[in-house]
Amino acid sequence: MPMGNTQPSVRPASAGRAGGAAVTPAAHRHGTRPRRTRGGLGAERYAPYILVLPAVLIIVLLRLYPLLLGVNFSFTGDGAQNGTAVGFGNYRELFGDPLFRTALSNVGLLVLLLPVAVAIPGLLATFIYLRVPGHRFYRSVYFFPAVLSPVIVGAIFNLLLAFDGPLNAVLGSFGVGPVDWLGDPDIAMFMVAGVHIWATFGMALVVFLAGFATLDAALLDAARVDGATLRQVVWHVIIPALSRTIQFVFVTTMIGMLTSMFGLLFVMTSGGPEGSTYLPEFYIWKQQGQMNRPALASAASTILFMIMLVVGLLQIKLLERSGKED
Amino acid sequence: MSRLRLGRWLVAIPMSLLALATIYPLLFTANVAMKTRRDYILDRFGLTDALRFENISTAWNSVGMGRYFINSLFVVTVSVLLLLLFGSMAGFALSQLRFRGSSALFLGCLAGLFIPFQVIMVPLARIMADTALIDTYPGLILVYVAQFLPFTVFLMTSYYKGIPPEIVDAARIDGSTVYGVYRRIMLPLGTPALLSVGILNALFCWNDVLMALVMMPSADHRTLMIGVTSLRGQYSDNIPTFASGVLIAAIPVLLVYLFLQRQIADGVAAGSTKG
Repeated sequence: MPMGNTQPSVRPASAGRAGGAAVTPAAHRHGTRPRRTRGGLGAERYAPYILVLPAVLIIVLLRLYPLLLGVNFSFTGDGAQNGTAVGFGNYRELFGDPLFRTALSNVGLLVLLLPVAVAIPGLLATFIYLRVPGHRFYRSVYFFPAVLSPVIVGAIFNLLLAFDGPLNAVLGSFGVGPVDWLGDPDIAMFMVAGVHIWATFGMALVVFLAGFATLDAALLDAARVDGATLRQVVWHVIIPALSRTIQFVFVTTMIGMLTSMFGLLFVMTSGGPEGSTYLPEFYIWKQQGQMNRPALASAASTILFMIMLVVGLLQIKLLERSGKED
Repeated sequence: MSRLRLGRWLVAIPMSLLALATIYPLLFTANVAMKTRRDYILDRFGLTDALRFENISTAWNSVGMGRYFINSLFVVTVSVLLLLLFGSMAGFALSQLRFRGSSALFLGCLAGLFIPFQVIMVPLARIMADTALIDTYPGLILVYVAQFLPFTVFLMTSYYKGIPPEIVDAARIDGSTVYGVYRRIMLPLGTPALLSVGILNALFCWNDVLMALVMMPSADHRTLMIGVTSLRGQYSDNIPTFASGVLIAAIPVLLVYLFLQRQIADGVAAGSTKG
């Protein structure tokens, strides 16, 4: 604390930067004594803590503490073994469970689809930024499905993709046999992932456009004066300039794939057919709620958390390196 | 120049098709909701011959979507108000006031951003059961507040950082308490951010399915989105009623989107550029 001010701990951030002396004489000039007005010294001194208390309390008790509790829980048993330590028993069981293995390989599939899920909104945002005719209209239309609940999106596509539904009716009129979009184990996961990308690309689009807003227009003009083609502009101007935004979209899109597809899975396939559309979050819910295996579910939660940490760190590292090479 | 313009129009064609693919599913659903069951079986794509609201009223009354709608409205309203209150209080303190431990507390709040509900679902359900909050509205509200508070605190803190500290200085010199500064200066000045964050939070809560599913097992406590999921089993052979239920859940979001699109996009953009 720099000075013997009567307001040692509660003070606007600027006062600290400018030096408290600038504040005190002013207070004297006006003849006011700010600290004594209401609530007394004690209440004022603790005011910042009182202001942050509800938020900190809720976040610590209902976010951070449950995380530790869950990790701890994953090393205990279920049912008759409730509460007793079982070491890595749950993890062994987890990796032996074909459903969980399917869930992990589906995560792998989503990782492979990730570049597509990032490139589509990136390209569309580029066109909108370059003001194709009707760019405002596209922006509002593309963003709309992103605000709809996965449950609503899933229900609508349930309707459209039903075996006796409209899509097959259209295909049938072209002589293409009916496809069991959500009932064929080889197709269903692609359909659910496709619907997820359809429903969320607008979110990434808006993030890209926010990135474009920070782009220096002079760079683009210079490239255009030099006769650069659109491809060259994208590769040599836009991608390097937006590397931070691209990195952010990669990470958030992957996190979205890992944590916000439950509604779609629940409504469109319920994990079926033959467990082919399981994802870790669906597995966790199933084991916790339906199978009454909370400790096993906790182990799956811990794995999911680790996947998310790895994904986040890996992508940031990769993009940092490619950014330096450019 | 003319070649460039031609290129732009060529790009506009796939973009328009994509725009159509983006809105068509909802238009299709709305059209089906107006049809009779017989009409739908005979002709799935044809425009409905009349604006019928029987299916909507069946879904609202007999299916119980009306009740679920009210449940959702209540839970979302209270959750958002609490989020804005706690988020702006913490955001003000963390951005404008200096106190011991403030950066540690800010980091603690941020850490919450990286813990998705799926990861803490089991222990959280247990905590809620132990405190008799499971299957109650306060319990679900608390879970929503905990879920979206890190994001809200983060956005409010970065917004309030943009407010010149001289404003707070001046008010303090004029004898205002910290609480007075919060109530009379920070809350009004924060309106644009509060509106943006509030709408986003309202959408998140309204659209949630997993938290409601885990925390609200009883049928009469269902939120609207859980109501939508239950349509599938019950009305899979009555598509117009099914579509009506879906429409009831989608219309409020559509209205919010039509009028407040700007604020929603701003909120998403703020979350990305400040991160």
